[in-house]
Amino acid sequence: MRSRFDEQLMLLNKEMIEMGALCEDAIELVAKALETNNAEIYKKVRPISLEIDQKEKDIEARCMKLLLQQQPVARDLRQISAALKMITDMERIGDQAEDIAEIIGYLNGENRNGSVPLQEMAKATIKMVTESIDAYVNKDVALAEAILKEDDIIDEYFMESKRRLIKMVAENPENGEYALDLLMVAKYFERIGDHATNIAEWVIFSVTGVHEEA
Amino acid sequence: MKKKIFQSILNVTVVILFVSLMLITGVLHNYFQKIQNQQLKEELTLAALGVEQRGISYLSGLGKQNNRITWIASDGDILFDNQADITKMENHSDREEFIEAIETGVGSSLRHSYTLTKNTFYEAKLLSDGSVLRISMYQKSVLALLWGLIQPFGIILILAIVVAYFIAERIAKQIMEPLDEIDLEHPLREESYEELAPFLKRIHYQKKQIRWQLEELNQKKLEFEQVISHMKEGLVLLDAKDQIISINPAAMELFQTTLECIGNDFLSVERKQKLTQTIEKAREEGWGQVRIEKNNREYQFDVTSIHTEKGIIGSVILAFDITEQRNAEKMRREFSANVSHELKTPLQSIIGSAELLQNNLVKNEDVPRFIGHIHTEASRLVVLIEDVIRLSELDEEQKMEKDEISLYQITAEVLESLKDKATIRKIRLNLEGNEGRMTGVYRLLYEVVYNLCENAIKYNVDGGNVSVTIKETEKEAGIIVEDTGIGIPVEHQNRVFERFYRVDKSHSKKSGGTGLGLSIVKHAVSYHNGTIELTSEEGNGTKVEILFPKS
Repeated sequence: MRSRFDEQLMLLNKEMIEMGALCEDAIELVAKALETNNAEIYKKVRPISLEIDQKEKDIEARCMKLLLQQQPVARDLRQISAALKMITDMERIGDQAEDIAEIIGYLNGENRNGSVPLQEMAKATIKMVTESIDAYVNKDVALAEAILKEDDIIDEYFMESKRRLIKMVAENPENGEYALDLLMVAKYFERIGDHATNIAEWVIFSVTGVHEEA
Repeated sequence: MKKKIFQSILNVTVVILFVSLMLITGVLHNYFQKIQNQQLKEELTLAALGVEQRGISYLSGLGKQNNRITWIASDGDILFDNQADITKMENHSDREEFIEAIETGVGSSLRHSYTLTKNTFYEAKLLSDGSVLRISMYQKSVLALLWGLIQPFGIILILAIVVAYFIAERIAKQIMEPLDEIDLEHPLREESYEELAPFLKRIHYQKKQIRWQLEELNQKKLEFEQVISHMKEGLVLLDAKDQIISINPAAMELFQTTLECIGNDFLSVERKQKLTQTIEKAREEGWGQVRIEKNNREYQFDVTSIHTEKGIIGSVILAFDITEQRNAEKMRREFSANVSHELKTPLQSIIGSAELLQNNLVKNEDVPRFIGHIHTEASRLVVLIEDVIRLSELDEEQKMEKDEISLYQITAEVLESLKDKATIRKIRLNLEGNEGRMTGVYRLLYEVVYNLCENAIKYNVDGGNVSVTIKETEKEAGIIVEDTGIGIPVEHQNRVFERFYRVDKSHSKKSGGTGLGLSIVKHAVSYHNGTIELTSEEGNGTKVEILFPKS
């Protein structure tokens, strides 16, 4: 009985890692498209986002089945409930990557974003997402705690982007729409950072049983 | 064991009990019957006497407790019966014992009643008056006797079970004791039951065999681990569920993991979709290959699934670092492109001049200039082709004759041949240091020194200095070429040894050269296992230091 349960937990773990890998892929694609101004990126990100959605449903069903059939307690219960919360965050990451890809399509290959630190932001976000999934894979509480601090860096990037965009619009009011699009992209990255933080918090919860409120 | 012994004891007891019961019942039954018959006859004789003397009054005095006595008249009518109502009894003239008594004087018979499981004995005697006196007695049949014995027999059986249980326990313990005490680690030292000797021998032999096989297995495993741990390529073995069975140090470094990952899912060490998909593909098609950039290096992953008759039992992932290979490929591509370009440029120039001459578009006084131009360009081509040949010779790593040579002497020769070039630009050449003796290929070392000194002059300022110092220590010989020239900007310093690499991108013909000089130097130096160190500052000159091991 227990061995069957362990096997199911392992399958859950495997699917979580796969979902995390999909999220990483989606953001990496978006970051690359931002660098090369590839307006076609939406077509590539969309299927990944759909796959992430499907994975969320699969994992949710698996968790529910585990909860009902095995009635887990203690650490097992924490792992499953943490997984249930984490997939919501991962699904949001996928959606936001898709949203960014859509906005990149609107930019029509224009490249006036040199003044806004979007590249750095994308890199920092990818790092956070990768690390949060690494933390989950290795049950690494220390790494998860480090991620909580990294979110401040992304927040700082967002504030900086906002300041520069305000300046940009003030100097050239006709850039208004463009600046707003960039602001949206920056905001989405900032949100992805928040989701990565959430994932890290749930990793800490699943290992220690304490959920830190950010 | 105990159960078996108990069973046997009980079985034997039950069988013995049953057989004795049968025998005893049979013997006893016969014996009782005989005695009873005797008694009955005696009683009849007595009764007959009584009746002869006292008549019916004797019989009525007997009462009911005795055996049944019937007095039958000679015609079969009942005259008296001490246990039944004579009026209700039928005529007895057809009874066996009666007929027999009438005929022979005495008669007897046995009648069996199955319903009552009892036998009735009859004895009859003819009296003097012709009537017959009959006496009868019930006797229980064998079945009835058996039935009566069942209760004591049951008690004996229960007793037998209890006794058998305790005896079985004791016997089992006694039998088992020596068996329990056998030291299976050293089966041959035991002095146990003789009957066990073949087993113990066999155990001993098998133990030896197992130990031997285990050792062999361990040895094989160790060999395998040794082999894969010294492999430069990363190797990961997965089972059918993609869990890691084995991983070698190269792969651990590649995936940045430790031995702890063994038994975990492969996804936990690497979750790149490309690789996961390749593993999946290998499972379906038997083989898959993918190139992935990791840790800033390019890796090629070959995934093969392991098939047996039972289906797929796992996969093997082999990772090659193909960064160098990729760079080499890139360099080769660039080299061919560069060579074609470098060859084409002078040829275009030659063709252009030749065409002009052919079509008489050149004034007579300009003809020598054009022909000179063709000559210069053709010579340039020859130099370039010679350089390329030299480089490809070095690439082929042909074995060349090594001699004892002196760097000082070579440098002196080089400077002598470059003297004219230097004098034109008022550049002072200076040579100092000791002999610089070493073993090497004269032609290559001459090339090295020539190229370095030529560059030092070519990229110098007019009126500058070139100083060459030869060094010799116990183990090394070296040459330092220093100039006061234009220097090499920092960002180019790493690349000047590449083929056709030029700091001045315009490929200016002014300085001449093919762009292969330093590349030849690099190859020639590495042919002699030497090292090159380049220090330069833009505008302040360049210093190149080359050190060769002496042998």
